[in-house]
Amino acid sequence: MRGVGEVGGGCHIFNGCGFPAPGLQDFNWKPFFTIGSFGFTKPMLLAILAALVVIVFFWVAFWKPKLVPRGMQNLGEMAILAVRDQILRPSLGRRGDSYLPLLVSLFFFIYIMNVMELIPIFQFPVPSRIGFVWPMVFIVYFLYLYLGFKHQGGWGYFKSMIPPGVPAPIYIILVPVELLRFFVFQPFTLGVRLFGNMFAGHLLLTIFTIATWYLLSLSVGLLYAAGSFFLAIFVFLLETLVTLLQAFIFTTLTATYIASSVEPAH
Amino acid sequence: MSDHGNEAVTRARKQAAAQGRAQGLEIGWTVFSYLLAGMAAYGGIGWLIGRAVHVPLLFPVGMLVGLGISIGYIIHRFGRQQAVERPRKEITGDR
Repeated sequence: MRGVGEVGGGCHIFNGCGFPAPGLQDFNWKPFFTIGSFGFTKPMLLAILAALVVIVFFWVAFWKPKLVPRGMQNLGEMAILAVRDQILRPSLGRRGDSYLPLLVSLFFFIYIMNVMELIPIFQFPVPSRIGFVWPMVFIVYFLYLYLGFKHQGGWGYFKSMIPPGVPAPIYIILVPVELLRFFVFQPFTLGVRLFGNMFAGHLLLTIFTIATWYLLSLSVGLLYAAGSFFLAIFVFLLETLVTLLQAFIFTTLTATYIASSVEPAH
Repeated sequence: MSDHGNEAVTRARKQAAAQGRAQGLEIGWTVFSYLLAGMAAYGGIGWLIGRAVHVPLLFPVGMLVGLGISIGYIIHRFGRQQAVERPRKEITGDR
């Protein structure tokens, strides 16, 4: 585990070395151990931990369900109902309840991975490594493609991408745009948004934390360090919101994509 | 109005707000995807033709044309409020 001083290379304003700006090197972790060419790194450990947290939480909550929920079951039910009422039903209605397990798992898995950024010792958002985002995007992507072909048929699904009422010549002009949007940019933006937000958030937190250490001294630098510390706290509070918001957006968009596959937009 | 009636109205309002949020998110990101897809599709076509006829300028021209097509289509599709509305699911107390 790297401390602030170590990440900053032990640099301080009076050491004569410049500001050790954080960068990509702060997202590359030395493997804990290697098996052949495979290195087991900290983000992998955190992803497994996040999955375990979600599994254990819901397992414990619904191990012995009671008619009148108490304790953990109460909390578990609140969590599930929040996803159902705020994310699933607004897009899919009652008929979409069969997708609730997928959306609940996605939401809490992403949220716990994001929130790792804010927990001391862990302090790294797993989705800031884009490799952890793509598998979730591919699950969603293949699911809505499958549902689209299943519910609307091959031709019907393609036709539903362009709403009716568009003149034939315009239709031809729009086909490349629609195909590229649907098959490439829709999943691309779904993944890159989550990655980008968590990457930028972690970078900001690291910058202000290192700057606080770098500027700290018993002189006017104390004021600058205090300013940087204030900003670090501000970004921390902002990130508590962003972690939740990104999980919410990813899951909401998943629900709307499933909805557009199951029932075409008119 | 009875307590049950008030509760149903509040729940329906919350559901409508959640529905609006989901729809807003979807439209926002669809528009963004259209802008990228338009530039990439016609930029790609321009690049291919430009490569064949040795006119590199067709690549940026294609991108601009694609951007124009995307913006025009976005205005056509999302400019009018009615065009974006899905068939409304009924908002009742039991949902």
